Amino acid sequence: MFGRPLLRTSYEQDAAMLPTAFQKGALAAFMLAVVLMGLGNSVFTWLPSSLLGPTWINPVTNLLPLAIAALGFNILVGVTGQVSIGHSFFMGVGAYTAVALGGTGDGVKACVPFHDELGLLDQTGQCGLDFPMWIWLPAAGIMAALVGIFVSPAAVKVRGLYLAIVTLGLVFIGLHLGRMLPEYAGDFESGRRWPSLDIKIWREETPLVQMTEDGKWFGLIHLSEEQKQFFFLLALLVVFTILAKNIIRSRTGRALAAIRDRDIAAEVMGVPEFKYKRIGFALSSFYAGIGGALWASYLGRASPVDWNLFLAVDFIAILLIGGVGTIVGTLLGTVFVELIPDVVETFTEWLAEQTEAAPPLGWIANLLLTEGEGDFGPISLASTAPGWPMSVFQWNFVIYGVLIVIFLIFEPLGLYGIWIKIRNYWKRWPFSY
Amino acid sequence: MSIATALLANAGTTFIQTLVKALALGSVYILIALGFVIIFKGTQVLNFAAGAISMAGAIFLAIMVGDGGLPFLPFDNPLAPSLDDPDLVLWLINLVIVLFIAALFGLVIERIAIRPMVGQPLFAMAVITLGIEVAIRPFNLDATAIQARTLNVPWGADAWELWGAQIPKSYVAAMIIATIAGAVVILFYRSRLGVAMRAVAFDQEAAMAQGINVGRVFAIAWGLGAALAALGAIVYGMAPFPPGGQVSQEIHPILALRVLPVIVLGGLDSASGAVYGGLIIASAEVFAGEYLSQWNSTLGSGYSTIVPYVVMLIVLLVKPYGLFGTAEVRRV
Amino acid sequence: MRRKSKALASLVAASLVIAACGGDDDDDATPAEEPATEEPADDAEEPADDMEEPADDMEEPADDMEEPADDMEEPADDMSDEPATDVVTDFGVDAENMVIRVGLNADLTGPFASLVVDIVEAQKVYWEVFNEAGGYRGWTVEPVVIDSGYATDKGIQNYQEFAQESEEGVLMITENTGSPITSAIALDAADDNMLTIPLSWASLWPDPEYGSAILEKQATYCIESINGVEWLKDLVESEGGEATLAIIGRPGEYGEDGSAGAKIAAEELGIPIVYDGTGAVAGDDRTAVISELVNSEATIVWNTLTPGELLDIFGNAVSQGFTGYWSGNSPSFSYPVHMPSDFADQFSQYYFQSYYQAPWATPGIPEMDRLVAEMTARRPDLNISDAYTTGWIEGMMAETLFRTAIDQGDLTRENIVAISQDPSFSVDFGGLSANQSWPQDYNEALVRSTWIYDVDASQYNLIPMSEVTADNPGSSGLIPIEQDYVGTVAGSYQFDGPCIEPSS
Repeated sequence: MFGRPLLRTSYEQDAAMLPTAFQKGALAAFMLAVVLMGLGNSVFTWLPSSLLGPTWINPVTNLLPLAIAALGFNILVGVTGQVSIGHSFFMGVGAYTAVALGGTGDGVKACVPFHDELGLLDQTGQCGLDFPMWIWLPAAGIMAALVGIFVSPAAVKVRGLYLAIVTLGLVFIGLHLGRMLPEYAGDFESGRRWPSLDIKIWREETPLVQMTEDGKWFGLIHLSEEQKQFFFLLALLVVFTILAKNIIRSRTGRALAAIRDRDIAAEVMGVPEFKYKRIGFALSSFYAGIGGALWASYLGRASPVDWNLFLAVDFIAILLIGGVGTIVGTLLGTVFVELIPDVVETFTEWLAEQTEAAPPLGWIANLLLTEGEGDFGPISLASTAPGWPMSVFQWNFVIYGVLIVIFLIFEPLGLYGIWIKIRNYWKRWPFSY
Repeated sequence: MSIATALLANAGTTFIQTLVKALALGSVYILIALGFVIIFKGTQVLNFAAGAISMAGAIFLAIMVGDGGLPFLPFDNPLAPSLDDPDLVLWLINLVIVLFIAALFGLVIERIAIRPMVGQPLFAMAVITLGIEVAIRPFNLDATAIQARTLNVPWGADAWELWGAQIPKSYVAAMIIATIAGAVVILFYRSRLGVAMRAVAFDQEAAMAQGINVGRVFAIAWGLGAALAALGAIVYGMAPFPPGGQVSQEIHPILALRVLPVIVLGGLDSASGAVYGGLIIASAEVFAGEYLSQWNSTLGSGYSTIVPYVVMLIVLLVKPYGLFGTAEVRRV
Repeated sequence: MRRKSKALASLVAASLVIAACGGDDDDDATPAEEPATEEPADDAEEPADDMEEPADDMEEPADDMEEPADDMEEPADDMSDEPATDVVTDFGVDAENMVIRVGLNADLTGPFASLVVDIVEAQKVYWEVFNEAGGYRGWTVEPVVIDSGYATDKGIQNYQEFAQESEEGVLMITENTGSPITSAIALDAADDNMLTIPLSWASLWPDPEYGSAILEKQATYCIESINGVEWLKDLVESEGGEATLAIIGRPGEYGEDGSAGAKIAAEELGIPIVYDGTGAVAGDDRTAVISELVNSEATIVWNTLTPGELLDIFGNAVSQGFTGYWSGNSPSFSYPVHMPSDFADQFSQYYFQSYYQAPWATPGIPEMDRLVAEMTARRPDLNISDAYTTGWIEGMMAETLFRTAIDQGDLTRENIVAISQDPSFSVDFGGLSANQSWPQDYNEALVRSTWIYDVDASQYNLIPMSEVTADNPGSSGLIPIEQDYVGTVAGSYQFDGPCIEPSS
């Protein structure tokens, strides 16, 4: 009971999901806080509201499916060490599988590619078979995983930066496929509607669990539409996080890490390189597919151009800022990257109210902001004039890019690394090492 | 009989025009690809920021010759060529100044973001340039958002006629500029500094031990690479290239990404590979665009833009380090 | 220099006079009727005319909405100065301070930033003018602008922020940039009773598929194409030529809507289509489209593109010896892009711009004089722009809605939507664009008139508004040839619904 801390006497202990009591307690407290936050407990909504504005639940819900996809990206890049700039392509594959199976459309014939040219239908139809979510969601993951397996031979042949560029090519090919196949993708610019997150048994009118209307859940608790989606996606994220953690600490995860550390050495030790690279791609794409399907369904609508290079770069930033190879880091990174814009916007709004404040604060506010003519601040409050000074929306991109650079130079382990440093400091306190 | 001859002549004209266009586009690709290769060879960094740097260079030139201003400075450009009838010599002087500014820009980026990263994994170095790209891009878009950035090329959109085919002067200029730039790069690699750079590319520590100033090699690689990328974007900004004589908010930001298949095809560290890669990819793209156009509806409109990626994928599966790239020696 | 500043001073003075007049004229049914002339005599007459009009407007809703009649009749005589405190409100309204919040879901950083920024600025100025004149019966308007960058997911998030059911939300969305974002939010907007004015002219929005909360303004892309093709055909035939049509468009709702209209016109007028490039322009390489177009030797080209795509295709086609006349849906041509380009002369020669409204400083339109005066006085640093008209028009639509709602004593989102659906609701744009009403029937609701401009690069004179004088008002180089032109086809054509299939 009072043994030496962190002394591990068995492999089970070493591989445990949450090795210390502190981690168990912290996780429980965190989950409780998140649930209370979602329920709208006034204390806990105060924090997100002041950081993200009163509609904080929307950006937060929006990042949950992206976090699922990011977990997959971590498996490929962080754990297996295969550099990819094509994660958004696999998200798109999942999303289009979801909409083909779960969306509304013009029957099976419309799902045949090039049915226009083949003359199957009188006019261009849209593919959508109206199946319930328990079919389309797993199918989205599986379809993406199959495409990942199909691509994986390239990863054996092509290495390092060459692989990165190949996967980048996938993004462009994906964009073109979206243009070529409107029967799946819908309109090239405005896309098409995705199935809602309602849980149905089959095609019944009143779903088992209603997601898109305010109302009572299971006759117990009254939730708004936003809260319902928040909790549902949060639950899925928890499930997929546990799954990812289990993959990483299992035999498969150790084999993947061996490939990352040195593929030839791994092969010498009896870890078949091709097999595990294939598994890495399949797992990563599975997560991407699920994340893409959920994201599009949460948004309600997506277009082929949404699965673009910027989304893929987002995941790289998530991993680098959060901490490569760690699940906590991935989740932290997702929260950080996806919420920066909202935080910056809220902060600027707050700052704009402080221009008349006492010297230090008011002075800083005046220095940063430009309200009218004669001001020289870099942030324009007019928000409508491209040209210097730039609007806060443009600065958001700059901040995002600069953060990637800063984290890489000063903290390669990302937010997770910062956390480790703080933790070690307190662990050793009062000694410096 | 005469119809057949006419058709044949027409086909010949189309072929010449397509060929010239392919060579011109290839020239643009070669310029930007050389920029990538020089930086990669010198510093082992795949420069994803090339897009933002090159577009910034084109914007600088547009500010100097289109607006008659100076970048970053609130002064008039004393050397600005007239808007209605730009003088070729003045325009070229401005071009050279802009290339120096772009090179300086490259130096600054190298100093701030790349130097602290020496010795880090290749991927981390590449991603840092991705961060730079994201950070610079808003400034570029901002500069082009309201106002058209016209490059005010002296010969405008004029063309020569050759056997009935239209040969735009800009296309010829692109080829000449690419040839000059290629020659400069070859001469540079043969110079003392170039040899030093090749030594650094081979082994940084060993080069250092031989008394080579690695820091200076890094700086020069970035300066030269940035200038070449900017030159590529400027050439691409001449009408009748797709941006139509302006710095395009839609096309210029992704121009460098379109060159990635070129350098992968040629090999990341091969200058001659960049030349062959540029010509192969540009020809595939332009000829597919011209001669497969009747299948536009089946292939999907805009199909020619993904031809480079398809060619790249096929080549890579056969030759994983490109046509001319150095294979990585794999050790345990 | 001295002359300039003198003229500027007089302009400022004029705008001040107008602003002051605006204060007196609060009882106007529509702001359009406010006089822009400087003669006070007109002003004196004006209220007398106006008195009847609000009364008309008032009575009709009273029947339809079953509003308590006494509420209506009492203030009919002199409701203008009386602050309307007894107004029912729900969301997006600060009832205490009598402030109405309106949302602009705008693209300030994306591909249409250059256009949208001007539109947003004009609408902001519109509300500044409105507020400084005391608003309407004590109510003022606060515009809330959020950037979407033309990204659908950000646009949806912005919408959710606007739609929140509290004071932090907005009463209505006075501008929603782009077809993609509009179709993404249309059904939610109908659910939330969030009336939305789209910055998109697709023929889709009146379709029930998109709910009932999208209040489209002006002619559709489809009708614009029908008018444009017919006008070009007349032009070609008047020069003794024979009209053959080439259609070039991008994929997506905008491109396909415009191309569909061109096809309708061709079919009705018997113009042979020699090249149909509907949806053919995608990606950065347009080699295929250019060579097909040049080989077709069409005499009319109708394009539905972005300015960058048009510059490339037009430039290459013309330099390869193509000599047909060109026109296209309004977003294709953008004077800041095309006028300084290498092809400016060719654009002047072959291109005709189509639009829905009056360009900057069109003479003879009182509302335009007011727009020019206010914009010049309040945003002297900005350049002149034709797009200001659009923002102004959006403001006029919203103001008319709010006036009616305040008079009815009901500033709820539901009532705003109800007013917009009332057959008697109409907006007078004071000559800036064709007056519009929104009956439920698809064909009746359509505005069928568009404007045709000549492109004249020699007139192009893009100056900051601080340099605007009466002699030198600046010009986008677009000179109106036809105001509110209605062709024979567009005038009578019966639509079954939108020109393109709504995507589900």
